[in-house]
Amino acid sequence: MNNPFTDPREVVRITCMVHQRLNPVTIEALRDVGAHTVLSESARCVRQESLPPSVLKFGSRLRHQDAPMDIFRTTVARDYALGAVRGLRDALELDKPGRGSVFVQDIQEYSILSPAEVPESTLGLDDGTLLNDLTLMTGIVSTVGSAEALARIALRLGAGVPVLTLGQGTGIRDRLGLLRIAIPPEKELLHLIVPSQDAPGLTRLLIDDGRLDRPGGGFLYQTRVRAAVVDSLVRIGHQEHAASMEQLIAAVDDLKRGTGWRRRFAGMDPLQEGGSKTRRNHREITFICPEGRADAFVHAALNTGAAGATVTKVRCLSFSDVEGGIAARERGVLCIPAALEERVMEALLVEAGRDGEYATRLQVLDAPSVFSHQRT
Amino acid sequence: MGFMTDNVSRIHIPFHSALRMLGGYFRVRVLEQIRSISFILVYLLGFQILVLGTTPANALQLTLGIGMVVFGLMFFLEGLILGLMPLGEQVGVQLPQKAGVVLIALFGLLLGVGATFAEPAIASLRAAGLSVTPWDAPLLYWMLERAPGQLVAAIGGGVGVAVAFGMLRFYLGLPIKPFVYVLIPLLLLVSVYCALDENLVSILGLAWDAGAVTTGAVTVPLVLALGIGISRATGKQDRATAGFGVVMLASAFPVLGVMLLGIHLNQQAPRPQSEADFFSQENRKSAILWVGSEEGLTLLAFERGTETGRQALFPGEVSEPHTEQAPPVISPGLSLMPVIRTESGHAVRSVLPLTFLLLVVLMLWLRSRPRHGDEVALGVFFAWLGMSLLTSGIRLGLAPLGDEVGRPLPRLFRSVAREEGRLIFEPFDPDLVFSAVASDGRVDRFFYLQESAGVPRAVPFDPERFDPARMRYEHILKRPPLFGPELTLAGIALVLMFAFGLGYGSTLAEPALRALGRTVEELTVGTIRRVGVVRAVSLGVGVGLVIGVSRILYDLPMIWLLLPPYLCLLPLTFWSDEDFAAIAWDCGGVTTGSITVPLVLAMGLGIGSELKVIDGFGVLAMASAYPIISVLLYGLWMQRRQARSLMGTEGDVDHE
Repeated sequence: MNNPFTDPREVVRITCMVHQRLNPVTIEALRDVGAHTVLSESARCVRQESLPPSVLKFGSRLRHQDAPMDIFRTTVARDYALGAVRGLRDALELDKPGRGSVFVQDIQEYSILSPAEVPESTLGLDDGTLLNDLTLMTGIVSTVGSAEALARIALRLGAGVPVLTLGQGTGIRDRLGLLRIAIPPEKELLHLIVPSQDAPGLTRLLIDDGRLDRPGGGFLYQTRVRAAVVDSLVRIGHQEHAASMEQLIAAVDDLKRGTGWRRRFAGMDPLQEGGSKTRRNHREITFICPEGRADAFVHAALNTGAAGATVTKVRCLSFSDVEGGIAARERGVLCIPAALEERVMEALLVEAGRDGEYATRLQVLDAPSVFSHQRT
Repeated sequence: MGFMTDNVSRIHIPFHSALRMLGGYFRVRVLEQIRSISFILVYLLGFQILVLGTTPANALQLTLGIGMVVFGLMFFLEGLILGLMPLGEQVGVQLPQKAGVVLIALFGLLLGVGATFAEPAIASLRAAGLSVTPWDAPLLYWMLERAPGQLVAAIGGGVGVAVAFGMLRFYLGLPIKPFVYVLIPLLLLVSVYCALDENLVSILGLAWDAGAVTTGAVTVPLVLALGIGISRATGKQDRATAGFGVVMLASAFPVLGVMLLGIHLNQQAPRPQSEADFFSQENRKSAILWVGSEEGLTLLAFERGTETGRQALFPGEVSEPHTEQAPPVISPGLSLMPVIRTESGHAVRSVLPLTFLLLVVLMLWLRSRPRHGDEVALGVFFAWLGMSLLTSGIRLGLAPLGDEVGRPLPRLFRSVAREEGRLIFEPFDPDLVFSAVASDGRVDRFFYLQESAGVPRAVPFDPERFDPARMRYEHILKRPPLFGPELTLAGIALVLMFAFGLGYGSTLAEPALRALGRTVEELTVGTIRRVGVVRAVSLGVGVGLVIGVSRILYDLPMIWLLLPPYLCLLPLTFWSDEDFAAIAWDCGGVTTGSITVPLVLAMGLGIGSELKVIDGFGVLAMASAYPIISVLLYGLWMQRRQARSLMGTEGDVDHE
């Protein structure tokens, strides 16, 4: 047998972001598509809510409305990617707006477990409705409430339904000794699926309006999405027309079989590069390990030049008993220049080998655009 | 941090930058604490100055106390966040890896019993029962005064069993609702049984209050963190908030424990009787047996008895009038150092044994080390420091302030002038007495009394209080009622309003609740905001206090106060989803903590002593029941709001 921690497998990562009330159905659907294990994480999505005109205020009014979400991630063999997404879409009825999104990304995975193979019966029908020219924008901010602000900007721009999660930052903070308690480790993460051609323009607007171009402002990167069913319900509540703008856009996306027709931000200036930089050719490295082991992985990565990692506590739902009974896991995400990939991966793989557990796995995917403030 | 070696060197921050960083860190937290206690502080001071028309007796001590409360809250909360909660969670995550179900339950039992003995709530219970007498409520008196050890054991046993059950629940992934459906009706049934017995009825308030106060400021966050860890490790439930619910059990089981102890002790307890009968010669033997000693009986006659009792105890002797002196209105100043010394000792008992137990389990049994050991050590130190400062600050500042406002409260609804103290003039010169004629021709006598401000004031002369043989005159200082006799209803409304504000304000600052709110917000990624939870709980406590104070004012039977809210809670729990049910029931347990209890007791005692009610119990139980209702209602409202994006697709969700 090949050493799983030296030979990566080409797989896809399926990410399901659904309303918490659909939790049992989602777990059942993921079991049906043959997933061995699923990582689940609590999240929240923000939508605009339109209120009817009141006595005091004419015209419709807007406020923001939270909904509890859960994010489920699993990996399957590449051949089954689209079928699994369709299967999940059908099982969860994600074509109805407001229930959630599902998307797949091509990744390389290092794991003892072989990727799941989806049974024929659960593969959805190929009706050509999956969107495939999308990008996942991930923002990591450290000030409490910043992600909410970014989410509101995204909503204002009609960029999609933003999903927020929480994590803990490690990196420079951990090199301060006990003085680190003065810097809160909490990070907020924003996940937003947007049409690829809009990603640079939206990045710029999020950076400008969300003030990410300041020291400590945050970090924003993009990764490619191979196919997706996206929740288009940006606004709920009072609606004055027979269909909302979002519903119309979703309908045209369906007709046009893609989002390429709705190109926006044309003619917009490229991002000003003052103290901040958009850098190309990065890698998003994700490690998943038993809870309590993340420090060792982060340390290994920092030793080889990574700047820091964001660690989230996740639960592992095991459908086969290969991973033992303990469900507590940590999922760390690092974003590093491609040039560092080899060194960082080497160190992480040594660490993963030390563990030698089913629970440990590493995932790598391209992050073509990364933005963070950088002192010049 | 232990692992920070190799190429990743430590960054050295210049001293002034470090100071600036720490300054920012402390500033944010201090401001947060000031915000959290500002409501209760402004409310108490405002009530004292504007309604009662008095000023704080010892402004310096008050200021110092409030300052200590602010810093105490800051350090304590920071200690919980840095040290105790991460430690609890780590043990929780690792425990199921090494231990089976039996060992986890045993650990829970040990932790629960240990927590009760470390943070004994018995002091607040005894304070609420200061005026309990062995003739009115013999069983209650026995449990509080003669068998406090058994009482603590019953409570501790209850908490132990509760934590054991809680840990089992997390391990097995059981929902909280069945526990509610079984436990609460059982508690109500036993309560009804107690209410039907003339002796047991007196311990109902004690039992339900015991449930409310047992879960202390250290125990709650620790047990919560532990539960969250265990349920994350076992992963049996598909929801992030599966770690809640154990505080509810830790509030319910002690109620059962105390009632069962009462039922057991009731077999040999005498029946309630009149004071005269209790002190009479023929019952002397049994009275001494019940009180403990003859000296105890004499002391009791003077401390809690009335003239009737004393005359029965010493037939033929006339007791001195001074024994009826009213309690002083102004509490004597407390000296700083002894208070801090005592409270730091208590804080050591609250924080260290539990931390030590967790560390022993983690290091010796689970063979692991605390993650970020230096942070945990600092956190434990902060928790101890915070607890010492907080409880000292409450004793020096907040509690005396509550006392100054709480004790004179009855003036608001009493239509007669209230005795405030007595002045003895010996010798008293009768020539100082003048006569004044009223419009109807009635002649009253008066004399001039020089007030402390030096202004002479005419006060009525009562010939009955003048002893010509000793040339001694006893003048009774009276404070007029705030409202005229016709306005007592408004006065009562004002007292109830005061109770509501007191409950609302003190709960806003309650550290255990704030730790719980923070955990809820974190686990739900902000879909349930801590502000919302804390406010809902505070409103509930406010309402609960209004009901509790009404109980004292109108001497309502405890069982009629318990049945409606708890019967209302059962359907509400049924309609709520599992998350909110567990959170809401836990909120009931954390409300009555280090800030609320002393303030509520001061108010309850003030009203209770004025109305000569048997005990001040029941207020805390109400302050614990109503927040569950308010949080469940808040949850139902949130549930509706949060499912709005699914509307229209709901039919598909129903089958779940």
